[in-house]
Amino acid sequence: MKEIFIPGRAIIREIVQENKQIKTFRLELLDKTQSFTFRPGQFLMLSIPHCGEAAISISSPPTALPLIDLSIRKAGVLTSAIHRMHSGDEVGLRGPFGTAFPVGNFPGHDLLFIAGGIGLAPLKSVLDYCLFQQEVEDDTVQRITLLYGSRTVADIAFQKAIEKWKNQGVDCRLTVDVGDPDWSGSVGLVTELLHPDIITPQTISLVCGPPIMIRFVIAKLLDLGQSETAILTTLERHMKCGMGLCGHCHLDGKLVCVDGPVFTYAELKLMNIMEFS
Amino acid sequence: MTNSIGELQGADVLLVTGSNTTETHPQIARNILEGVDRGAKLIVIDPRKTELARQAHVHLALRPGTDIALVNGIMRSIIDENLADDLFISMRTEQYEKLRDYLFRLNLDEIAAITGIGLSTIRKAAKIYARSSNAVICYCLGVTQHTCGTDNVQAVANLAMLTGNIEKAYGGVDPLRGQNNVQGACDMAALPAVLPGYQGLDNIDARRRFQQVWNCDIPQTPGLSLTEMTHSGAEGDIRAMYIMGENPVLSDPHLKRVETTLKQLDFLAVSDIFLTETAALAHVVFPAASFAEKGGTITNSERRVQLCRKAIPPIGKCRADGHIIMELGRRLNCPGMDFTSNAEIMEEISLLTPIYGGMHYDRLEENWGLQWPCWNRDHPGTKFLHKHNFTRGKGQFTITRHREPAETVETKYPFTLVTGRGSYHHYHTATMTRNSRRLVREYPEALLEINEKDSRALQLQPGEPVEVHSRRGSVRVKTVVTDRVQPGTVFTSFHFWEVPINQLTVDAMDSRSKCPEFKVCSVNIKKVSHA
Amino acid sequence: MLDLNEMILPKDNLTPLLRKLAKDARLIAPIKNSYGDTLFTVIDDIDKAAIDLENQPQASLKPYLLPQQETLATYRNTEGGYIFAEADEEPESIYFGVRSCDLTAVLYTDLVFSRPVKDSSYFKRRNKSLLITIGCNHPFSNCFCEASNSGPYLEYGYDLQFIDLGDAYFVSAGRRKGLDLLEKWLYFFRAVTDSDREKRYQLQLEVRGKFTQNIQVSQVCQLLQDHEVDDSIWRKLSGRCYDCGGCAYVCPTCTCFSVDDAAIDENHGLRLRSWDACTSSGFTRMTGGHNPVDRRTDALKRRFLHKLKYDYAEHGKPSCTGCGRCVDICFGGVDITTFISLAAKGETV
Repeated sequence: MKEIFIPGRAIIREIVQENKQIKTFRLELLDKTQSFTFRPGQFLMLSIPHCGEAAISISSPPTALPLIDLSIRKAGVLTSAIHRMHSGDEVGLRGPFGTAFPVGNFPGHDLLFIAGGIGLAPLKSVLDYCLFQQEVEDDTVQRITLLYGSRTVADIAFQKAIEKWKNQGVDCRLTVDVGDPDWSGSVGLVTELLHPDIITPQTISLVCGPPIMIRFVIAKLLDLGQSETAILTTLERHMKCGMGLCGHCHLDGKLVCVDGPVFTYAELKLMNIMEFS
Repeated sequence: MTNSIGELQGADVLLVTGSNTTETHPQIARNILEGVDRGAKLIVIDPRKTELARQAHVHLALRPGTDIALVNGIMRSIIDENLADDLFISMRTEQYEKLRDYLFRLNLDEIAAITGIGLSTIRKAAKIYARSSNAVICYCLGVTQHTCGTDNVQAVANLAMLTGNIEKAYGGVDPLRGQNNVQGACDMAALPAVLPGYQGLDNIDARRRFQQVWNCDIPQTPGLSLTEMTHSGAEGDIRAMYIMGENPVLSDPHLKRVETTLKQLDFLAVSDIFLTETAALAHVVFPAASFAEKGGTITNSERRVQLCRKAIPPIGKCRADGHIIMELGRRLNCPGMDFTSNAEIMEEISLLTPIYGGMHYDRLEENWGLQWPCWNRDHPGTKFLHKHNFTRGKGQFTITRHREPAETVETKYPFTLVTGRGSYHHYHTATMTRNSRRLVREYPEALLEINEKDSRALQLQPGEPVEVHSRRGSVRVKTVVTDRVQPGTVFTSFHFWEVPINQLTVDAMDSRSKCPEFKVCSVNIKKVSHA
Repeated sequence: MLDLNEMILPKDNLTPLLRKLAKDARLIAPIKNSYGDTLFTVIDDIDKAAIDLENQPQASLKPYLLPQQETLATYRNTEGGYIFAEADEEPESIYFGVRSCDLTAVLYTDLVFSRPVKDSSYFKRRNKSLLITIGCNHPFSNCFCEASNSGPYLEYGYDLQFIDLGDAYFVSAGRRKGLDLLEKWLYFFRAVTDSDREKRYQLQLEVRGKFTQNIQVSQVCQLLQDHEVDDSIWRKLSGRCYDCGGCAYVCPTCTCFSVDDAAIDENHGLRLRSWDACTSSGFTRMTGGHNPVDRRTDALKRRFLHKLKYDYAEHGKPSCTGCGRCVDICFGGVDITTFISLAAKGETV
């Protein structure tokens, strides 16, 4: 039996500085004999020498394979260590793990992405995937809207991607909690961007960000008449294995690493969990 | 403790003062809480809303350093309600009238103002305490680590005697001892003024006996206390020190002074199980064995001498403390350093220490050890002290008067800093516990507890670091907003070398116990400006 | 035809049999050490080992099948790359004197480590283990295996089950490995008679009356399925939990773990798995400080609900086997029996 905690070797091909704290690491697995694929919303366990592992959402679409993007905010020991690494350095990857966004159900729908800070990373994978689908297929998603909140203007991450999305017809609306004189966009919480006209009967909302943001966004979406099954979110938890064994990511009777991280609000509502209590 | 730990469960009222018992003495807290489950009333005196305070029937959240005023207020209320135990007072105590007259002269409104506690709350606590037939007072370092520490303890003793809550199974005054064998260390006279078993240096018979057995002269005058030694400074006449299992470079108050003292020594030797900050300054370091690598006894808070067995032989070059002392002694031509077993050491202890007179190893194997005093081989040990009389005969009431701490708040230093243990995950200066990955994960860094009101006034974000300044130094520490502390008071621990909070504390100490005032100093808090 | 599934082992033959077994595999049995503690111990010399079948081993088999700390893999990070290698193989092991509660726990652990993927390190040891249980004729003071449906005798799951008839053991084979062992060492055994069988059933009946604990496990499991436990109970229990992890560490069915890397030197290290406890706040706290579990109120919620609610819903029985070890270890007095009795009093809403 092959040891399940041994990661595959991966090399850093490129590093993109997204803001002061966030970098995107473009990785490629070295072992080409093993087939590797994933679905938008899934995550990987990233190994850094002497730092152990951390669960990181994939921020690129499967269509970009063999390149895999991990967008990482510098927060702890491991993330600080990878922030010190360079192109050509090696890391380890296990996965993919967890549930994905049901992209197969999206054609014919409008998609509303609502993200805060680093929360845009997992949604970026879906968004890029849907844009790719729009290019190559007829029956595909309709309108795509992105509401993105950051703390300050300097904190706005993924600016290159956002520019690209704007050019591809995505309605991108940005807001910052704290404004500054050079900022002409919205100031305020991302919930304030949720106008009634944004939601249509065909809208599916995808939400990711800090727990408190998720809570208020979902409350607002429900107020605006969004159905519980059309609200999708991805939860973050402390994880050690990614395979439903170690127990760290428990969520009422479920485990986020195998039963999630992607849930509909209809599913979450039935559970007794901190984000919504 | 005058009582045994298990007796706490049987008390009707438990008054806990200056003790964050659930975090510092979990085993004792369990007994307290099980007493509460059985219907006992719990009164907690603590400036902080500790876990135990949350579960208390009455929480007296006093202003730090006003214990005497509060206890006097409680006693006055007891007398006003006619709840004093007159029979006990007349049979077992003396000089009550002086205290009573003093208490009658007190202005209760003033006491409320000093302590910051409403009169009705003080009266409520007084009634609950005095009306019980069995009341226990547990106190810890929140009482003793003040410039008025000795008087604080005296005040507590007055309260117990006033209501006859002493010398019985479920009533008494119980100091909760801190480190695992601090009781044993004191019993064995790791104190400057006594011989083992608290035999005074002025006890000629005892002195003669020790001189006979140890074959040396016993000094007639007391030595120096810890703080006097570590704060003797460059002008002090201490030239060499041997420090065992203590990390004064972090744990003593006013650290700059400690460092100056240690650095100017001609010779410093330290034995410890890890290379502590203090050991790093030493000329010679003895690697000591851990608890699992040596045998011996540990005496706990309830005076119980318990046998500990060696689980594994010492790893590497480390040696048991006893071994290090004997080897050192032999090289210094000290006679009698030839014990071949721990049991042999205990035989000498039994011979020289009356309260340990019957504590032989073969007896300690049974029943989790024996509680002192245990006078001889046939003596069963003592569950609670002072059964028919106090050590000195009659219990003496002594008037204690409120006085302000060495430092009081002022415009430049408007906050009161209280220090203590921060969590049960770390022990003391964390020289051991920070080697455990799991414990570090649970409590990774120092936190300054601050009330929401103060945090808002300082415009702090959650977890934002601040600079804390006192007249003696400053540290940078992360904050945690909590209702555990009152507005105007902040709290942090001394576990983390990165936040050497004792650079800030005062070295003012109690004139009798020489215990420093770790519990009160005045500080200012500044937002760290973001670069 | 001789029924090999059930045989009698005269007590005089026990040591000779174990001596043979120890030649083919590592033999592990409860041994009383010089401090009076009974622990599962590897037997080097069968004649010197004080096998103790009278007392409950202080630890279950967990330290062997899921060690407190194990090396999952080694790694090096050199010019040649950041490369992991598998850890060493494990020896064949025979465990003798396993209690029913602990065997039930092993069966549960097998399930946990099989879904959704097979845990390679666990099965590396588990597949090389042969488990010989001993039916309990005398429950210990904290035991409640009958209430949690995991003893005192077992119907299945063991390789061999021994039941003490006084002068002999009634031996049943439950799995192929056990049967193979009986066949191989047939000459130590004799056939079962009707009176042996009679004696066995008599003992089984008697032991039921010997439990001193009355813990309403299944009632509470059912209650939890559609009732919420009152917050005041969680608050009270949490206030008395000192986060020592003792309950999880002694629990034979607590399998939560951590994986950490430890450097050996600049270029080499180990990937280690160690026991963890859901009662700790660091168990769920994320980098950056956010914690989805508030320890002050919910420290014990996951532990008790996992065993009594979620696992009961999934497997039809709780994953508390009633071994009673947490009762002794918990110095806050908030072990699972405290919770069960509070919940059984109907303090649920």
